[in-house]
Amino acid sequence: MKVELYGMARALAGVAHVTLPLDDPVALNDFLRALAEAAPALVPDVIAPSLDALVEPNLLLLDGRRALRAGETIRCEDNPCVLFLASGG
Amino acid sequence: MRTEPRPHTAAGTYAGPRELLQVNLSTRTWLRASLTDEVFADALGGVGLAVRLIDERVRGPIDPLGAENPIVFAAGPFASTPVPAANKHALATISPLTGLLNEGLSSSHFSAVLRRCGLAALVITGVADEWTTLAIDGDQIRFEDASPLVGLSAREAAKSLRAAYGDRSLRVCAIGAAGERGVRFASVENDGRQAGRGGTGAVFGAKRLKAVALRGKGEVSIADPRATAALSAALRERALGPKTAKYRVLGTGANLRVLQRMGQLPTRNFTAAQFEGAENVTPERARESNGTYLELRAGCAGCPVQCEHLYVRKERDRRAAAASEYESVWAFGPNCGVDDLDAVLDAIARCDELGLDTISTGSAIAFAMECAQHDLVPRSAFGAELRFGNAAVLLPAIDAIAERRAGLGDLLADGVRAAARRIGRGAERFAMHCKGLELPGYEPRALPTYALGLATCTRGACHNRAATYDRDLRDPSAERDDAARALDAIAAEDRAIAWDSLVLCKFVRDCFDDFETEAAALWSAVSGLPLDAGGLRAAAQRTWERKRAINARLGWSLDDDTLPERLFAEPVAGGPHAGRRVDPEYLRALRAEYESLRASSAAFV
Repeated sequence: MKVELYGMARALAGVAHVTLPLDDPVALNDFLRALAEAAPALVPDVIAPSLDALVEPNLLLLDGRRALRAGETIRCEDNPCVLFLASGG
Repeated sequence: MRTEPRPHTAAGTYAGPRELLQVNLSTRTWLRASLTDEVFADALGGVGLAVRLIDERVRGPIDPLGAENPIVFAAGPFASTPVPAANKHALATISPLTGLLNEGLSSSHFSAVLRRCGLAALVITGVADEWTTLAIDGDQIRFEDASPLVGLSAREAAKSLRAAYGDRSLRVCAIGAAGERGVRFASVENDGRQAGRGGTGAVFGAKRLKAVALRGKGEVSIADPRATAALSAALRERALGPKTAKYRVLGTGANLRVLQRMGQLPTRNFTAAQFEGAENVTPERARESNGTYLELRAGCAGCPVQCEHLYVRKERDRRAAAASEYESVWAFGPNCGVDDLDAVLDAIARCDELGLDTISTGSAIAFAMECAQHDLVPRSAFGAELRFGNAAVLLPAIDAIAERRAGLGDLLADGVRAAARRIGRGAERFAMHCKGLELPGYEPRALPTYALGLATCTRGACHNRAATYDRDLRDPSAERDDAARALDAIAAEDRAIAWDSLVLCKFVRDCFDDFETEAAALWSAVSGLPLDAGGLRAAAQRTWERKRAINARLGWSLDDDTLPERLFAEPVAGGPHAGRRVDPEYLRALRAEYESLRASSAAFV
């Protein structure tokens, strides 16, 4: 599963995307654990040390256009993106 | 609709500087007064205080470029205290661009010294006979000849004044050539920071006020120094954590890649929402260039974040380095279809030198490019061909606007709304503004709450006053009912007022667990006036009511709370949100919900 990284996630990981060795569909917790393993630099600033959530205001959007719904799983074709949105300058 | 705010009374003694200095440039006179505890309890400071002072003085229609239009500086109540990210002040006037209230913010040393001069606020009216520097030197007020400064940039003017005073600690707020010539989106600069939007620089120019120079070394009292120190230390620590990492490491320019991916990046004057050349102009590219660009860092006095990232090619003079803030890069990059980072950085630097708001300037050029595409203005107006994507036209166009050069330069210097009216022949459909203020760099057709916020914002299309994009961007496809969106828009507006009245930098907004409670505690510790979360919300609401009351007196009506026609008529072309547009009936319903909730505003207090 390919995960696109933007903003701080990309700066910390040093790559624009990572590929996770996951079969879909995958639950959010498993997704974050795999992401932390593939890009350890994302912990703790992007992925919480508990590995079960992203640190605000980082967020996960599917194909850059919608958030994960409660209980929803992630599939490869969802094109998950980790973004950092805070702005206002 | 209520048009007058509810009063508020104080239950304590305000600890900070409380002097109001009123200066009349026509008569070269001034008046000092002491603001009461009730004023601070009612309006807090910053934008809240500036809006209250405008409200007391603007009781009907006025000419924004006339003598009676007041310029109000109101210090942030945490300036010159240990509170981090808070050396800020508000700068309010009636905008020559919109004809409505304009309240901007600036920051750094000038804000701190304003309070060290004993001032809570400074109100300037009248018109000077000659170009003038208003010098506030401790207790002394002087009207100094500014004719040697005419034509200089704000930075050069400050340097010249410091040399003349022999004092490098002199703090100066000044305009550049664009303000002198009355460009209606001219900015005001101090310490390298700009109050950019709405044309306050043109109001300075109309008053022949080139600069305000401050020198003050007075103590700023704090009601509870121990509590203030503890709260400030906790905020400072959080402001150095992951919640502000983006600003510290990357700067706001990092939004460009994100918004491009999300299909939310307005391109070529909002004719598209993704830009094929976005990767070429993202400031991250300069950062990742392995030494091609030199990166410089800057920030406001007393701020741990130091958010500003400036870039210049390594072989060039570092004084040519340009700030790479998202809105500025967007305005000259994607919005003009330009994919040349050097050209974009040079355009930003030129605007800072001339004293121009980058958002409005880039939008004016993008508007002209589209007009040229439809043969409404000459393509050769600025020498280089006026067309989307032509980087070579940016600097000549900026210079022509700043000089108000006869023809298109002069036309664009009045903003896109006025320019479109004068061009006619359908040019209005290319003028991207709300109430005369040009749109910032987010795509409203894919962000419904943000679209509502832009329409209702008292300042016009300001993303920092109607900061509703945050909520939308977290889930752009979320289905939400009208009432929820209207509530979000109101909450975002009122929260922005609270931030801007305290005045805290919005870049530390995620550093609070419970902003209203914690910010109210900070206010109480610094000021000595009790405040809780509900009181802070009520103060923000009072200021919003004043803003709208001022605008109503200036001729605003509910019909003005709308969006550019393009956003209704033309769907997003391509990208994840292809086909989306703002349904006028939907916006009407959201506005009705918004008005209904505002009318029953006791629910928010």
